[in-house]
Amino acid sequence: MKILVLAKQVPDTDKVKIDPLTGTMIREGLDAVINPLDLHALELALCLKETHRAQITVLSMGPMSTEMVLRDTLALGADRAILLSDSAFAGSDTWATSYTLSEAVKKLNIEYDLVICGEKATDGETGQVGVEFAVLLNLPVITYVSRFVSLQNDSIVVERTVEDAYETWKVRLPALISVLRSVSEPRLPTLSGKKMSLSKKVEIYNARDLGLKNNDLGLTGSPTRVVKVYNTKLSRNCQLYMGKDLNQGIQEVVKILKNYKGSVRR
Amino acid sequence: MREMIIEKLKSIVGQENIKTDYDELERYSKDETSSVEPSVPIAVVFVNNAEQVSDILKLANQYKIPVTPRGAGTGLSGGAIPKKDGIVLSLEKMNHILELDLENMAVVVEPGVITDEIQKLAEENGFFYAGDPASSESSSIGGNVAENAGGVKVLKYGPTAFHVLGLEVVLPTGEIVNFGGKMMKNVMGYDMIRLFIGSEGTLGVVTKIILRLIPKPKYSAVLLTPFGDMETAVSCVPKVLCESGILPTSIELMDRYSVEISSKFLNDNIPQQGVDCHLIFEIEALDKESLTRAYISLGEKLQQMGALEVYIADNRHQKMKIWKFRKAIAEGIIAFRPKHCMEDVGVPIKAIPALIRSTYDIARENGVEVLNFGHVGDGNVHVTFLKPETMNEEQWENSMHRSLEKLYHITANLGGTMTGEHGVGIKRKDYLNIFLTQTEIQLMKKIKQAIDPNNILNPNKIFPDRI
Repeated sequence: MKILVLAKQVPDTDKVKIDPLTGTMIREGLDAVINPLDLHALELALCLKETHRAQITVLSMGPMSTEMVLRDTLALGADRAILLSDSAFAGSDTWATSYTLSEAVKKLNIEYDLVICGEKATDGETGQVGVEFAVLLNLPVITYVSRFVSLQNDSIVVERTVEDAYETWKVRLPALISVLRSVSEPRLPTLSGKKMSLSKKVEIYNARDLGLKNNDLGLTGSPTRVVKVYNTKLSRNCQLYMGKDLNQGIQEVVKILKNYKGSVRR
Repeated sequence: MREMIIEKLKSIVGQENIKTDYDELERYSKDETSSVEPSVPIAVVFVNNAEQVSDILKLANQYKIPVTPRGAGTGLSGGAIPKKDGIVLSLEKMNHILELDLENMAVVVEPGVITDEIQKLAEENGFFYAGDPASSESSSIGGNVAENAGGVKVLKYGPTAFHVLGLEVVLPTGEIVNFGGKMMKNVMGYDMIRLFIGSEGTLGVVTKIILRLIPKPKYSAVLLTPFGDMETAVSCVPKVLCESGILPTSIELMDRYSVEISSKFLNDNIPQQGVDCHLIFEIEALDKESLTRAYISLGEKLQQMGALEVYIADNRHQKMKIWKFRKAIAEGIIAFRPKHCMEDVGVPIKAIPALIRSTYDIARENGVEVLNFGHVGDGNVHVTFLKPETMNEEQWENSMHRSLEKLYHITANLGGTMTGEHGVGIKRKDYLNIFLTQTEIQLMKKIKQAIDPNNILNPNKIFPDRI
């Protein structure tokens, strides 16, 4: 079995700061790490490697610093790591990213039975690349996978979480699944894994290697335009009821909740 | 009398800064020490500046009222527990960062600032405050100074005292004094700063602290190493320190039961759960390449010394994934084994294996349970005796006392200390003469008498009732 994991590098922070003038994320001084949800995707692949002798390829697009992040995936047990890096790719929206990744898969003949990616990245939070990548390669997609149930010959069974229910799906391979945290618990790299990763090569390809035209790539190839980025302000409305009767107070709270815009009515 | 005192206190701090309701007072009758009885004061007074502290201490001297200074109340020796006829002087409202002086690599703070806030401010500016007690999220810097708090980075950076450049202190008699400044070196007379640091609120009330900042270490890695047996694990600590050529920031120990309790608290499992113990090493470097070389070198040595595996965490998420198990131990003990006695003994690093070995013998001999965790890299182990479920309260009190006495005698014979970072307070004062001679204790008492002639400031702490 061959598994392709799509991974993105993101800043190693839990507090994303936005430059108020440019509206872009401030990445200065922040180390890069693999997107946390992609790590859960990789862990699922590693579990399948242990149980079904799968071969794992990790594919990413990003600046050259992504090489270190991909090396970490090799340390954890991935067999092959591929980085697409070129200034022509800079400024890609989800469409251009998906296009570049899917073209790389075709041009480099990357084999796969199952593609796994995190449901979204912590920086952009669009959750679109996995789905668009699957469309471009004509693959069935299951999003929001919260549990991997089984692998059966040419198909997989997974559980996905929707707003108020779980759904169980069986899908024929090849297919793409985008996963949530609950799908796996990422392992820590071992010393031997780290040492081994230092001797392995991360394969790096640019636009010319892939035979791609600049018009389809990066900012030029991106139909999305970010017009404005702004911080939302959370405002809270605190109302204080003073009284001696607790039940009366509770009734007041219930009344407010019932009338609150967006509350669930049954 | 009581009403008159309260009225006078109100005139100093204002009515809004004094609490006398029982429910409020009860909160201030204890700290986080499990084995010391609470004691409800007559009032809690919240001060806003050194002048108010001075006026209160002058009043206390006039009417001989015991005053117990208090920060965030996270102490582990009963040091903030007041006397029944006394008042609590709370420094919670003196919680301002007064000055960040980057050119002098210093920050000036009031005592009520939560330690993590200093760390955050320093980090935002590319600096680092190296004092890092496990309670840094909740403890105040004034409390850290009063107890000379340690933590997980003492091995490389030293305890709180190493980072204090200057202090403003209100003496028990009400005078306001200043020692030190923003300079690194100062041998002008006696080292009064070190005298006040760790004095457990008995010699003065610290109202301003000048702390040293250092450049933030850029890269760090955490190594998690499970061991099949405790003896192998703790024996490798002195060897690593002497032979590896690397000075880790931390070397922490978690025995099997410590890991079990923190895993239960976190509802999560650590790699190789169930082995005899885990050691955590943290190392720092200037660049990624030298960090990689260092963790490979250290990791290989640990494997040679018997580590079952070496896990490497070199990003924030992975490091937190390891540290959270260590940091949750104390909370886990409080949550699942409330009847316990957490100790704080420290020994020279070579004696760590002997100390740990003895704790299991002591527990067995006295019918109690024990777990060990803590800062083995600097020789400071939080030996924690636990009351077995089947044991009644009276038996537990007796067994705990016998266990402590034995532990302290063994520690003293190993050339160690009764407390490395938690302080003597009320909890340990009756055992002080196991470690110090009568002359040594009398010398300390003379200092106390000279500075606090009426014994009004945090009395009934540190010194045994009978010498």
